This record gives sequence, C-alpha cells and structure tokens, in this order.
Amino acid sequence: MAERDSLKATSASSGVAYGPVHLGELPDAALSSRPQSASGYQALMDAIETSVDELEALAGRSDAESRDIIDFQIEVLRDPTIAETAEARMNAGENIVFAWAGTLDDYIGELETADEEQVRARAVDILDIKNRVLCALTGTPIADFPAGSIFVGRDMEPSRFLAHDWSGGGGIALFNGSAIGHVALLARAKSIPMVVNAGRFAVSEGDYIRVDADSGAVAVHADGARVESASPQSISTFTHASPCDNGEVRTADGTRILLSINVNDPAELDSVEPVTTAGIGLMRSEFAVSSVADAASEEKQIVIYRRLLKWAAGKPVIVRMLDIGGDKPLAGLGVPPAGPTTDLRGIRLLLAHPEIARVQARALLRAAVHGDLRVMLPMVTFPSEINEMRSIFHEEAVRLATRGIPHPIPAIGMMVEVPAAAVMLDTFETADFFSFGTNDLTQHLAASSRDGANSTVVHRATIPALFRFLEGAMRLAAKGGKPVSICGDIAGDPQWLAGLLAIGLRHFSVAPVQLPAIRSAIVGLRADGTKAAGE
Amino acid sequence: MSSELRIETTEATRLHVSCQTEVEVKHVVGLHARPAVTFTRLAKSFPCSIEVAVNGSDVWLNGKSIIKIMSARIRKGSVLRIRADGILAEEAIKALKELVERNFDEDKNHGRTG
Repeated sequence: MAERDSLKATSASSGVAYGPVHLGELPDAALSSRPQSASGYQALMDAIETSVDELEALAGRSDAESRDIIDFQIEVLRDPTIAETAEARMNAGENIVFAWAGTLDDYIGELETADEEQVRARAVDILDIKNRVLCALTGTPIADFPAGSIFVGRDMEPSRFLAHDWSGGGGIALFNGSAIGHVALLARAKSIPMVVNAGRFAVSEGDYIRVDADSGAVAVHADGARVESASPQSISTFTHASPCDNGEVRTADGTRILLSINVNDPAELDSVEPVTTAGIGLMRSEFAVSSVADAASEEKQIVIYRRLLKWAAGKPVIVRMLDIGGDKPLAGLGVPPAGPTTDLRGIRLLLAHPEIARVQARALLRAAVHGDLRVMLPMVTFPSEINEMRSIFHEEAVRLATRGIPHPIPAIGMMVEVPAAAVMLDTFETADFFSFGTNDLTQHLAASSRDGANSTVVHRATIPALFRFLEGAMRLAAKGGKPVSICGDIAGDPQWLAGLLAIGLRHFSVAPVQLPAIRSAIVGLRADGTKAAGE
Repeated sequence: MSSELRIETTEATRLHVSCQTEVEVKHVVGLHARPAVTFTRLAKSFPCSIEVAVNGSDVWLNGKSIIKIMSARIRKGSVLRIRADGILAEEAIKALKELVERNFDEDKNHGRTG
C-alpha cells in the first residue's frame, strides 16, 4: 500500500469525515440467520423462559404485593393455552412474533372489558409480559461500533445505520453501495459524509481514513494533518438559518408554498424547530419500527407517533405505514422473500399480513388523539388496496371502541410511486391525499433497481421522463381537487425546483438539512418556475 | 347444589381414572388473579388433565390455564364443576375442591380479600 492512497468514489452524502476505520464485514451471515431465529417456535419458547427467569429474579427483591403480580405474570407466561394458541396462529401462517403479540392482545382486550375492576387491572400486567417477551425475542442487537468511526464495508444495512450513535461524527465509505439507496438517504438526513462505489480497498480496523464526500474521494492512509478539516460538524446549524414562518414561503410573485420535513427517526426532530416547518410531510415508519418485535408492539409504536405529534404541536404529521419487503426487509420477519424484485412489498405486504397492519393501525388510531395525525399508504397500485386498508382501520376502531379507548380515524392518503397508480390517479377517489415518491417512481420508470452499480447514472438520465410523467399525474390529481405534495429526494434538490413549480406542485416535503436551500430557491422563482426579475 | 365428591372410576388401573366434582365459590371477589394463580399452580402439579365448567355450562376449560380460568369470570356464588382424567385424577379433584373450599388460602396467605 502506498503511503497516502487516494481513491475515487461516488458522493452519497456531502461533507468530510476523518477517523478510525471500523470494518463492517458480515452482512450476509448476519442477515440470513436473524430472521430464522426470530421466526422459530423454539425462539418464542426461549424468550418466554428468559422472561420467566427475569421475573423470578425480580420477585426475589420485591415486597409481597409485587410478588403477587409477578407470580401472576409468570403463571400467564407458563399458561399452556397461550403456547397452543400462538402455535396455531403460526401454523396458519403468522410470523411467531405476531402470533405471540396477537394472542396476548386478544386476552388483554378480553380482560379490559371485564366488569370487575380487579380483572380489568390485570390487563396491564399482561401487556407488560407481552412486551417483555417481545424484547427478549429481539435477541442480541447488532453490535454497534465506536462513535466517530468511519464505517468501511461492502454495503451497510439501514438497521445498523439507525442503531449507531452518530453524534460523535464519523462517516461511511462503501466498496459498493448506492447513492440513492436507503442508507444514503438516511446519511443525507443526518449530514453524515458518505461515499459509495469506492471499490474494494485494503485497510485495517483502527487505521485512520479520510472520506471527502464533497469531492468523492477516500484517502486511505491519511495522516493527522487534515484532522481540523474534518472535525465533527454541527448538524443543527441549519435550523438557526430558517425563519419562523411555519414552513410557509412565498415565491417572488407571492404564491404560497408549503415546506414540510421528511423524518426517518424521531431523534432527528431534536435539531429542528417546529416553527420552521409546516409539519411532517413524511415519516418513514419502517426506519423507526425496524424490527419485527417493534412492528408487533402497539405500545412501542404509540410512543414513536406521540413523540412526532408532540413535536409538531398541532401541525400535520403524515406517518407512512411500514414500507417493507423488496429491498427493505424487516429484521426478523422471515415471511416475504427478500430482494429488490419481489412483488410482496409496501401495502401488498401489509394486506397479505394483516397482523402487521392491524398492530400499526391500532397504534396510529390511538396516537391520533394527540394531534393532527394522517396516514399514508406505501406502494399503492390499485384503489381497492386503499379500501381494504380503510376497512382494517374501521375494524380496529370498532375493537378499540369496545375497550373504551379513544381513537379518531385519521385521513388516509397514498404515496404515488408506482407508475400504474400515477397514470390512474383520477380513479383513486378514496385516497384523502397524494404524495409523490419520486425515488421509487424513477426506479420503476427506468426499470432499474436503486442499488445497482449504475443506478445513479440511470436515475439521473430518467429525470426528464419523470417530469413528463409527473406533469400528467398532476393533471389527474387536480381533477379530484385533493391535496398533493411531493416527498421524494428530488423535492429537496434546488436544481429541480423550477420544474416542479412549473407543473404545479405547491407543497414540498424535504429532509430537514435541505430546508434552507429550498427556502432560498423558492423566493428567487415565480410560481411558474421562471426566474424572478433581477435574479 | 351438591358438593359431594363423586368418583367415577372408568379405568381398571387405580391410578388412571376420571373424576368429577362440584363446588361453590365463596370467595368474596371470585376467582381474580391471585386465587387463579393458586388454583392453576395446584392443577399443574398433577399429571392428569384438569378441566373446569362454570354454572352448568357445557364448555370445559383447561384448568391449568390461568387465562382460561380468569376469563371464565368466576364470581362469588358460581358453581365450579371440576373434572380430571388420568394419573392421580382422584387426588387432584380432592385437592382442588378443598382449595376452593378453603377460599384459595387467601385468608391464610394474605389476611385480605382484594
């Protein structure tokens, strides 16, 4: 190896990072083994035993009254009919984690409707053990790496990105990877410097490396001389530059444009002032609800959605239901085949596995009392899919009503990201609103996956076709007079703003880091996308 | 309502039998969590199957399942039919009936009824 190898790479998220290497090899084995362990019946039995052991240890240091509760919980965990019911649900095709959660949810629902207060009070004890076992089922979390490290590997899984503490800076250099893949999207949202397609290069754990994602280069045996240029950057500075206009910006000729934000993880909101936005235009729930155990836990999801609503303080929060399947696997859900070409993804997967959709629907219904929550459905292709999901919401609302739980029914809209839906938008009468997801739309228009080696080039070349396509879809959407927004990556890139204004888009949802750039671009343009005089 | 212990021996072997009994619940709040734990734990200590039917119902519930016992809403004054089948069935029925008659040992263990 030369002293200071400089490698050419593709920038996926701008910035410069310098730090010790963390070698992130292992994805294949880790990915294939985890779903297996979480889907086996034995895994459930093991998780129950673990939970019983924990409770017994807890009982040893508790007073008599607490011991009564713990004894009750242990007895429920050892209830033979629970294991039988869960097994029957699993044999009927449910993932074991959902079979467990669904079985317990049914009992909790029964107890909650009891006449006797003593019996109703036990529902929360069962809820507690339901979640205790779900925690045990998640197993060993993916090992994190030291804060401030540069992750180097063939590729990186979204779950690993999300589990890592990026507050100490750091960066990502991938041998392969994709600038339009999901980790790139997450890295841009968090301003983590990232390069892809660097090719395989030799480094050792702890070697210092410099990732220059602005110029698309990696310096392998970088010395410390450039440390100062790569100190961890503040990711919160952009909020100070944003005026408190509640995301309402005027074009040069006075047309009102709304600016909302895309969120992947509720923690991203810590650095954004709500008064700088019109709300959350897209919450990608699959990044916050990232394991099958989380997807089975109504309570865990309610906490996430409440946090968003509390932050928004009355402004709209659009939560996209779990967009899983295809190239976005849910850790531990072994049912759908993995791989970018699978048909079972987005809303199709949710309808094929209603046990997943029902838990999320209940969590959304219950969280909706805390603010202006709206629901967006991923990868919708046909109007019937919206109707089916609406039925699930209504059925779950009835179930909540019998338990006396408040549950406003939210507006239900759809992502427009499947070409077949985009050309038929006027037939989607039951959708309450539309939002263009241009990342997937581009991919499907170009018949090109987002993780391929040439994907960035192909997708860029597809943009003129995308615009022509969006223009037609906008005309169809206008017929129904429904709210329309755009939340794909293209919405946050000032170079496309004029074109998007020209076809009539007035509501943009962008990564928080893009807010200042888009805001300043809007004021320099007229509503038809032409440059304002004097610019 | 009869509270006699009827024993019907259906197997030749003395160990493998089917037994049934009836007993009225006198406990003030019925079979809520703690009495249910005591009941199902005792039931599980026997190798035979144990089933319970409430107030003349012909639905037999697994007597070793706390969830089934709890959701049967067994209140004060309910009459439990308990049946056992298999090894030590006779002993199981006797022990469970006595437990119900002793108010699930609530007074002895806790001196309170809640």
